[in-house]
Amino acid sequence: MADKRMSEADVVARIEDGMTIGVGGWGSRRKPMSIIREIARSPLKDLTIVSYGGPDVGLLCATGKVKKVVYGFVSLDSIPLEPHFRAARQKGTIEAFELDEGMFQWGLYAAANRLPFLPTRAGLGSDIMRINPQLKTVKSPYEDGEELVAMPALNLDVALIHMNRGDARGNGQFLGPDPYFDDLFCNAAKQRFMSVEKVVPTEDLLKEGSIHTLKINRMMVDGVVEAPQGAHFTTCEPDYGRDEAFQKEYAATAKDPELWSAFYAKWVDVDAATYRANLAERG
Amino acid sequence: MATDPGVTASAAERMAWRAASELRDHDVVFVGIGLPNLACNLASRLHAPSLNMIYESGVVGSRPERLPVSIGDPALVAGSLGIVSQADIFQCFLQGGRIAVGFLGGAQIDRWGNINTTVIGDYERPKVRLPGSGGACEIATHARRLLIIMRLNRRAFVERCDYITSPGHRVNGVSRRELGLPGGGPEKIITDHGVMTFDETGEAVLTELYPGVSVDDVRAGVGWHLRVADELKTEAEPSAEALRLMREELDPQRLFLK
Repeated sequence: MADKRMSEADVVARIEDGMTIGVGGWGSRRKPMSIIREIARSPLKDLTIVSYGGPDVGLLCATGKVKKVVYGFVSLDSIPLEPHFRAARQKGTIEAFELDEGMFQWGLYAAANRLPFLPTRAGLGSDIMRINPQLKTVKSPYEDGEELVAMPALNLDVALIHMNRGDARGNGQFLGPDPYFDDLFCNAAKQRFMSVEKVVPTEDLLKEGSIHTLKINRMMVDGVVEAPQGAHFTTCEPDYGRDEAFQKEYAATAKDPELWSAFYAKWVDVDAATYRANLAERG
Repeated sequence: MATDPGVTASAAERMAWRAASELRDHDVVFVGIGLPNLACNLASRLHAPSLNMIYESGVVGSRPERLPVSIGDPALVAGSLGIVSQADIFQCFLQGGRIAVGFLGGAQIDRWGNINTTVIGDYERPKVRLPGSGGACEIATHARRLLIIMRLNRRAFVERCDYITSPGHRVNGVSRRELGLPGGGPEKIITDHGVMTFDETGEAVLTELYPGVSVDDVRAGVGWHLRVADELKTEAEPSAEALRLMREELDPQRLFLK
């Protein structure tokens, strides 16, 4: 039986400069933050981040890891605009490929199907076509002859996701109300890494949720990281909700370089065990 | 700008009430957060008990006890009639033409109902980075009826949007039919002073005023020469029951009725 367990550092060792990384979750919800932090403190650079963006995007922008972001939004939910991403965007330090959420999902779906593109009507008439000349339209070959946007595949080198439970072989389970698009990110990527709140024996996976909650199966995963509180400060229902006080502190660091260096030292440039210890101390 | 219209109802309450009155029972409505959310939940407790509220996060037939704070709020899920993937919401329901009513707002809107939620200033180096499309472009493209809720302001009602995130009736002279957009496009702009509809060319026309508001009050908040209908309707005041529902049950903490 293949044991795919590894550490956050093992995951980062498999990532190279310039790669395209897809991150699961949604906004400030179930983000694989312990892996994201490990990237943030690594020497990696020039990454393209593809995400229903939250603090994953903000943190990687703030630490200079990002060349380009592909997104439908970047939000902290209770704080509508991700402040670190906003700062990077307004300084012009990153390239932005903003898509409609539907187009974004369609691009991932095309990648998952190993198709070059999928047609859609979303985007017609929007400035997205003017700003992104790489986006082309395609004419239906059938009688209707309709002109449609050819949404290109959002191919990923790496997918990073966080689930509630998983086994050592890479089967993964969500226990909250929403699966998000984590399965799609895995299917669209060459290498797939899943952090989980808790690794359990395979036969125990159905103890906490029905078969329908087993959204990720082992053919979709290359590495499993056991990361208790691995999504902190984002939500990981029902294990924990969002740490709103922490998120506020994080957001405030976008406007104050001193606060940011203190935050970076204590909450970013630390390994996962130290982070958890700091969190326990904070109470 | 004119002073806040309405004696008994606040501007936000009036907008929510006016939007609610646009919803019909059994409508399938794609509910956004903020005032649209309030409007839909208000309508479902008044004249549209069978309103089918669909939320972007995948919740279908939601009957929230309290007003959800965000799209991912667990309050949406309890008592709902289904959870589907977000892919189904976008591709099968929205693109599939199943959504009767969509709501949008934005930082800028022009006379054709084109909306900007992306940037103020230049795209590459914006003065202000806004939330982005989210699902807005998709909703504007596909919803059979699109209702827009925005407060009047010359910086918001502009001659030309800095960026068109979501197409309205006409983009650079090209109509939505020519563009191949299947949805009906913007039907009304519900503002804090009155309501605009769209004429046959797709241009916004002022057709309704709230009590105590003049045409000049509205024009003061619009950055183009606004067309005004020959006959203007005046809307009724929100009912006492509607105000009670909004204030006491739906938004007692004043999250949206600021």
